[in-house]
Amino acid sequence: MSMLTPFKRASGLGTTNDGVHHWWMQRLTAVALTPLTLWMVFAVAAHAGDDYASVAAWFAQPMTTTLLTLFVFTTFLHAAQGLTVIIEDYLHHEGAKFAALIGMKLVLVLLGVSSTLSILRVAFAG
Amino acid sequence: MSEYKIEHHTYDVVVVGAGGAGLRATFGMAVKGLSTACITKVFPTRSHTVAAQGGMSAALGNMGPDKWQWHMYDTVKGSDWLGDQDAIEYMCREAGPAVIELEHQGVPFSRTEEGRIYQRPFGGMTTEFGKGIAHRTCAAADRTGHAILHTLYQQSLRHNAVFFIEHFATDLIMDENGICRGVMAWDLANGILRLFRAQKVVLATGGYGRAYFSATSAHTCTGDGNGMVARAGLPLQDMEFTQFHPTGIYGSGCLITEGVRGEGGYLTNAQGERFMERYAPNAKDLASRDVVSRAMTIEINEGRGVGKDKDHIHLHLEHLGSDVIHERLPGIAESARIFAGVDVTKEPIPVLPTVHYNMGGIPTNYHGEVVTLKNGEPDTVVPGLMAIGECACVSVHGANRLGSNSLLDIVVFGRAAANRCAETLTPGAVQQDLPEAGVQKAMDRFKRIHHADGKLTTAQVRDNMQRTMQKHAAVFRTGESMKEGVAKMNEIYASFNDVSVKDRSLVWNSDLMETFELANLLDCAQTSINCALNREESRGAHAREDFPDRNDETWMKHSIAWLDEAGKVAIDYRPVHTYTLTDEIEYIAPKKRVY
Amino acid sequence: MAEFTLPANSVVKTGKTWAAPAGATRVKNFRIYRYDPDSGENPRWDTYQIDLDQCGPMVLDALLKIKNEIDPSLTFRRSCREGICGSCSMNIGGTNTLACIKAIDAFDGDVQISPLPHMEVVKDLVPDLTHFYAQYASIKPWMQTQTPAPPDREHLQSPEDRKKLDGLYECILCASCSTSCPSYWWNSDRYLGPAVLLQAYRWVVDSRDEATGDRLDNLEDPFRLYRCHTIMNCTNTCPKGLNPAKAIAELKKKMIERR
Repeated sequence: MSMLTPFKRASGLGTTNDGVHHWWMQRLTAVALTPLTLWMVFAVAAHAGDDYASVAAWFAQPMTTTLLTLFVFTTFLHAAQGLTVIIEDYLHHEGAKFAALIGMKLVLVLLGVSSTLSILRVAFAG
Repeated sequence: MSEYKIEHHTYDVVVVGAGGAGLRATFGMAVKGLSTACITKVFPTRSHTVAAQGGMSAALGNMGPDKWQWHMYDTVKGSDWLGDQDAIEYMCREAGPAVIELEHQGVPFSRTEEGRIYQRPFGGMTTEFGKGIAHRTCAAADRTGHAILHTLYQQSLRHNAVFFIEHFATDLIMDENGICRGVMAWDLANGILRLFRAQKVVLATGGYGRAYFSATSAHTCTGDGNGMVARAGLPLQDMEFTQFHPTGIYGSGCLITEGVRGEGGYLTNAQGERFMERYAPNAKDLASRDVVSRAMTIEINEGRGVGKDKDHIHLHLEHLGSDVIHERLPGIAESARIFAGVDVTKEPIPVLPTVHYNMGGIPTNYHGEVVTLKNGEPDTVVPGLMAIGECACVSVHGANRLGSNSLLDIVVFGRAAANRCAETLTPGAVQQDLPEAGVQKAMDRFKRIHHADGKLTTAQVRDNMQRTMQKHAAVFRTGESMKEGVAKMNEIYASFNDVSVKDRSLVWNSDLMETFELANLLDCAQTSINCALNREESRGAHAREDFPDRNDETWMKHSIAWLDEAGKVAIDYRPVHTYTLTDEIEYIAPKKRVY
Repeated sequence: MAEFTLPANSVVKTGKTWAAPAGATRVKNFRIYRYDPDSGENPRWDTYQIDLDQCGPMVLDALLKIKNEIDPSLTFRRSCREGICGSCSMNIGGTNTLACIKAIDAFDGDVQISPLPHMEVVKDLVPDLTHFYAQYASIKPWMQTQTPAPPDREHLQSPEDRKKLDGLYECILCASCSTSCPSYWWNSDRYLGPAVLLQAYRWVVDSRDEATGDRLDNLEDPFRLYRCHTIMNCTNTCPKGLNPAKAIAELKKKMIERR
């Protein structure tokens, strides 16, 4: 039986005084991803069956490089935010939760950086 | 005693009940630096104050001229001159500040265009001593009780009041000198019996509408404080006066506020006639509740009721238009839809006079201190005990309460009780141990009922009582029918000795709780019907067909009734206070009561 | 992990069936969750067959009939029986609502009744609401002002400003919404839940209250407010027809507005 008062349990450790930034960024990235994803789908479809050289040439166009990088960055940022919420929702063991949050972020940074570098490499090195 | 786990508590004040009066008293005491605990059998916002709809009267004059003196006149006349005029003056004078205080605490009152509190007309509320119709009832749409109760609970949270929630108070602990020294309560969550020691016990336990079969009252309105007081050997006052609200929904008995008529609604009989014009040519549908209830009953008895069995009346508000209904009466539109299947913008609501309020109760002075008749002195204060709200009989409502005076009553006298305690008590004063005999008596009774093993169920005894009261202590009463009722009630009262409690547990044993409640209801019902038979006149809500007139010469007095353990009722009287508190208003002398 | 299955001692067993009296014509089965803390036994489903011709129209009427005539040990909270006190909130036919205003004939087949979901059960249909009430207290649900109140009159409030409280102040704290919210199930230790957030918003939009900033500060937290994932169960279930989800959305808007 807990000897804490109900109010002590309800107030917990207090507020973190953030949350609005995370919530807002998640909405912003969601909004940004709508046109980016559409563009991505159409663009990839348009280049279906092309050989490596022509795709690399398309990658090298400044607009393509920018949009691809933005798409990758926004996707991983949005994914990190979404996964954070999911982990916080369902993982209640403090240790497991922190491990999962850190692990998830490291994996996403790894994937994000390698994706970005791949885009840049194709764009600049052909 | 080993069967029960017992814990002891000491506070300066213990309040029993967390309705409007109990909460106002509780945080009032807390603010004054008295250590205060509030014991309540339901979570505070579940108390029956929450169901009050129409509003709270106060002569603010936001929507036309008004004065507290006019309000006082109406209240005295509404009480059929049985109200104590010192207390009525106190209440009506304090009404304005009380409403303003509630607003400052955050009650979401409806507003006028000027941003002031919206006030609506209500039954019996007039200007200039009966000449005009007053807009006096401060309203938060038709959920005023809800708005006020929640606000009072919020204030209690703000002031860190101590609550013992879902604790059922079973008995007062009295000492051999007749001083109240504390109270025993049963903690439903874990079965612990708690013995509270206090300099002052304040009862705020509400009414006993559930003594009747059909009532607007909640299931929890079981007269617990009245029962405790009767068992403590103290009298109950004016128990014969039971108010029938004219507009309970036919069938379910749910309340439809008088505010409906305040906003322009009206009643019709089978011929579509607005019959109130005949009974109350001036006030019409806004006559006082007892008058309207009697008129409706006469219409039904004379064959002009509506419906298949011609046994109810129609309440119309469809002409008000959906805008007014949705803004000012949204709650009753919802209730009528759910409980009568009626769209109030198109059809009338089927209604019937339904038991609603108990004017009688524990006799107190206007400070909230319980008084009794002792050695010929009718205003002897019972040390250590106070009562406020519907369980008390101050008496500000006399023989009939005016609509919207009850929310006023609870707030004003809840505050008065807190003030009185602050004046008379020393915070943290050393208290003697609880008297052993008193504790033993309460424990024995708990054990006896807990192990009750008779042949009747709680529900059976309760049903017998409710049907008897419904039949023999109705809107109109005759000596013959009440004699029969008293005889039946004697039997039913005695049959409680043969009750059984099926559930023997102590955690949330609602079977046991209902049995305790039934004991309290029986005390109320028994005193009520005996006093009703005893009072041979018609006054306010007490209408005798065999004594149709008010008889001031003999009966301008409060009945007080003691109940012994066998259920025998002894009746005596206290004089009505025929004086006021100040010379700002003179005693209002009795005259014929017409609306 | 969040728990997705019941612990062994909470698995509900099949209990007793109480048959309808002979000659009953319109029989309805009420399957009711029973739990007796003193027995040490698992909870069970008891079935009561009720003759609807001998019973009032609401689910509460059936519960009262069972308690009065069949099984006095059945325990549930009830008080006003007209939908204003909030005592008899429970899960009926899979939806959280008030037993007193839920008509029996809204259900075609059997009526299954259990306590509010994901709460500790004290006994039968009585859940422990202590934490819910403490969360309510934690938002300081009372009027806070700096400016002294006018000494002899009310605060002025325009009818338009008063209208902003409609749909908020009517909340009866029955906890139907909060206990229908999966996010509250998983994280009620930190998430305030729809009922309490609705109350928080009631004070944020009250034109008379002067602690708006403090109130929003107190909510700015990934859990207290932002655990709301707009699932909307709260609004669907509210027996008073209120819209807690909208109140929460308004709070989120206010949070952005003040950035």
